[in-house]
Amino acid sequence: MKNGGSLLAAGVDVGSSAVKFAVVQIADDGSEKILALHNERIRRRELRKVIREGYDLALQSAGVRESEIAYAASTGEGELVDFRRGHFYGMTTHARGAVFLLPGTTAVIDLGALHARAMRVDERSRVLAYRMTSQCASGSGQFLENVARYLGIMLEDVGPLSCEAKNPEAVSSICAVLAETDVINMVSRGVSRNDILKGIHLSMAGRYIKLLRSIAAEGDVAITGGLAADIGLCRALDEKIAEEKLPMRVRTDQNSIFAGAIGAAFWGGYRHQVLARRSSEAVA
Amino acid sequence: MSAVEILLGIDLGSTTTKAIALDHAGRVLGRGITNTRSNYNVASRIVRDEALVQSRFELVRHAIAADPELSRVERSFIGALVRNFRKQQHLEQLERLESALDHCADALRYAPCREAVKEKLHQIDEAIRSRVPGHFSELAVRKSDFFRDLAAADYMWAAERFSDAKSVSFDVLCGLFDAAILEVENAATDGAFERHSGPALEQTLATAPAEIQKRAPKLRAAVESVRTREFRVLGMVGTGYGRQRLPFPKEQVRSEILCHGLGAHAMFAGTRTVLDIGGQDTKAIQIDSSGIVTSFQMNDRCAAGCGRYLGYIADEMNLGLHELGSLAQESTCSVKINSTCTVFAGAELRDRLSLGQKRSDILAGLHRAIMLRAMSILARSGGISDEFTFTGGVARNPAAVSALKELVKQNYGDRTLNISPESIYTGALGAALFAQRASEGRTVA
Repeated sequence: MKNGGSLLAAGVDVGSSAVKFAVVQIADDGSEKILALHNERIRRRELRKVIREGYDLALQSAGVRESEIAYAASTGEGELVDFRRGHFYGMTTHARGAVFLLPGTTAVIDLGALHARAMRVDERSRVLAYRMTSQCASGSGQFLENVARYLGIMLEDVGPLSCEAKNPEAVSSICAVLAETDVINMVSRGVSRNDILKGIHLSMAGRYIKLLRSIAAEGDVAITGGLAADIGLCRALDEKIAEEKLPMRVRTDQNSIFAGAIGAAFWGGYRHQVLARRSSEAVA
Repeated sequence: MSAVEILLGIDLGSTTTKAIALDHAGRVLGRGITNTRSNYNVASRIVRDEALVQSRFELVRHAIAADPELSRVERSFIGALVRNFRKQQHLEQLERLESALDHCADALRYAPCREAVKEKLHQIDEAIRSRVPGHFSELAVRKSDFFRDLAAADYMWAAERFSDAKSVSFDVLCGLFDAAILEVENAATDGAFERHSGPALEQTLATAPAEIQKRAPKLRAAVESVRTREFRVLGMVGTGYGRQRLPFPKEQVRSEILCHGLGAHAMFAGTRTVLDIGGQDTKAIQIDSSGIVTSFQMNDRCAAGCGRYLGYIADEMNLGLHELGSLAQESTCSVKINSTCTVFAGAELRDRLSLGQKRSDILAGLHRAIMLRAMSILARSGGISDEFTFTGGVARNPAAVSALKELVKQNYGDRTLNISPESIYTGALGAALFAQRASEGRTVA
C-alpha cells in the first residue's frame, strides 16, 4: 500500500471531550509530512459514530482512500476505534507528536480534559520521566469547558478573553464541580468574565507548574492536548514561570492539540515498516 | 376584597431556588421553584412570583371548593387550567428564546454564514414549537418542569437533525443556545398570572367537557376575582447557599442549618436527626423536640456526595434530574464505581456505557456511592436517632432513598424514615416559619 514511494498512516486520539485525527505520509527517504488533521468535539454524541464520521472527514481532506492507509493507530481511549490495527499509550504518542511539531522539545505537558501529564523526553521522543495529576478533576480541561458553557462563551474565545483580564480573581481549586458555583458567585458579584477566566487559568497554571517541577523539567516545554489551543492558559503558564524564575519556557504549535493523533500516526507507520521488514526477511 | 396576608421563605440553593408562601395561619398557600442562575436577584424574584402564582391558583381552588355547584368539577378544571397556563408561559419563554438566538446570531463571528445560521435557527424554532402541545397534554410526562431543561432537550434534538458539518455544525448551534438561554433566564417575567390566566381560562373552557362549559360564567368569575386580589407580604426570610447575596436585609436571613432543622420539625414533629442532601452540600443535623439544632456536620468542599454529583451525571446522560432515580431502580446488578471525583465518575460512566454496560446498573452504583458518603457524615454528627427525616432535592430520588434505607438498616437497625414529597422545600418552609415568628413578635411589640 505505497503511495508514490511513500507510506500513509493515520492516528486517532480519543479523548473524553474530543476526538483528534491525523493522516500522515512517510516518504522512502524517511521524511515525514502531515496530510490532514481533523478535530471532532464529542458533545455527548455517540462516540463510535463520532469516530467513524471524523475519520471519513480526515481521509477526505487528505484526499486519501481508507484502503490506502497502511496502518491506522489509536491512542487515548481507543477501544471504540474499530478500524485500528494497533494502539499506542498516550504518553508515547504525545511525546512523538510534540517532538515532531516543535523540534528541540525536552519536556511535554499534555493538558487533556481529565488529566494533565508532564513528561521529560529525549530528542528521539523517548519518555525519560513522567508525573500525572491524581484522581480528581480539579483544574482540568473539562472544568474549563463547563465554565465556558456556563458563561455562554465558545471554547475558542476563552483564551483571548482571558488575555484581556485586568484584575484576575483567584479561584479556589478545590473541586471542579463546586468551583463552578464559585464562578456563579463571581458573576453575581459582578466580576467580569475576563477576570474570572484569567483567575481560573492562573490556578490551573499553578498546578501544571507543580507537575513540571516534580519531574525536573527544563528548557523547551511543549504543550499538547486540547488545552494547548488556549492562549490564555499558555500566557498564564508564562507568567507563573517568570514569577517563579524557572529555567524553562513553554511553547505551542498551532497543531499542538493534534500531537497525540500525529504521534500515533507516525508510530503506526514506523511499526508497519518494522513489520514489513520482518516479514520480508522471513520470506528471504 | 381585602388583601391576602402572606409570609414568604426563600431558599437560594446552588442548583434550585425555592420559595414558600404561608397564609396568616401558617398554612402553605403556594410554592415556587426555579433553577438558580448567575443573577440571584432574578432567581429570588422568579421563585417569589412563582409562589404567588401558585398561591393564586390555590385561591381559585378555594373559591371553587366553596361553591357546591362548582366543587364537582374542581379537580379537572384546575388541572386543565394549570396546564394551559404553563403552556402559555412556555410559549412566551420560547418567543424570548427565539429572539435571543436571533440576536446572538448577529455576532460578528457568524457574519460569513449568517444567512445559513438564521435559516437553521428558523427550522429549529419551528420544530421546537411543534413539540410544545405534546409537553402540556393531560398525560404528558415531562423530563423537567424548568424551561431551560425542556427547551434545551428540544433544541438539541432539532439541532442534531438540522445541523450539517459543512455549513452550520452542531457545535455552532450548541454555542448559540448556551449564549441565548442565559439572556432568556436572566430576565424576570413577573405579572405572569395577570397575563396568562385569561387566555389559559378561555382555552380551558373552549375544550372542556359539557359539565364544565355550562358552569363557565361562575368559573370565569372565580378566576377573575383572584386575578385582581392583592397580596400583602407580612414578612420574608431568606436562607440557603446564596443567602449572603439575597436581595434583602441581614436580619431577614437565617442559616440553612437552622431552617432545615425547623422545616423538618414542622413537617414531622418527632424528628431528631435530619439528613439534607442539597445541590452542593450534605448536612447531617441533630435537633431537639422543638426543632432547635443541637449539632451538625457538613461535607468538605467536594461535589462527590452531594446532589450536584447526580446533577452532573444527569447532564452527562442528557436526562432530567428526576429521571435518574427511576432508571437506577430498574437495575438488577449494581456496578461498583471506581472514581470518587464527580467529573471522573462522569467519564467512567461514559466509558462503561460505550463498552455496553447497562445504564440502570451504572446508575444504581452511582446512587450507592453518594449515600455511602452521606453515612459517614451522619456518623460524625452523632449518628441517627429516631425519627430520622431526609430532606433536600435528593430525597425526591427513589433510588437514593432505597440506597439510604438499606445502609441505615445495616448500620443502625430499624429507624422511622420520614420523607415528605415536598422535602425540597424544607429550607424554604423553615425560613417562612422564621418569618412568621418575626412578624408575630412585631405585632405583639
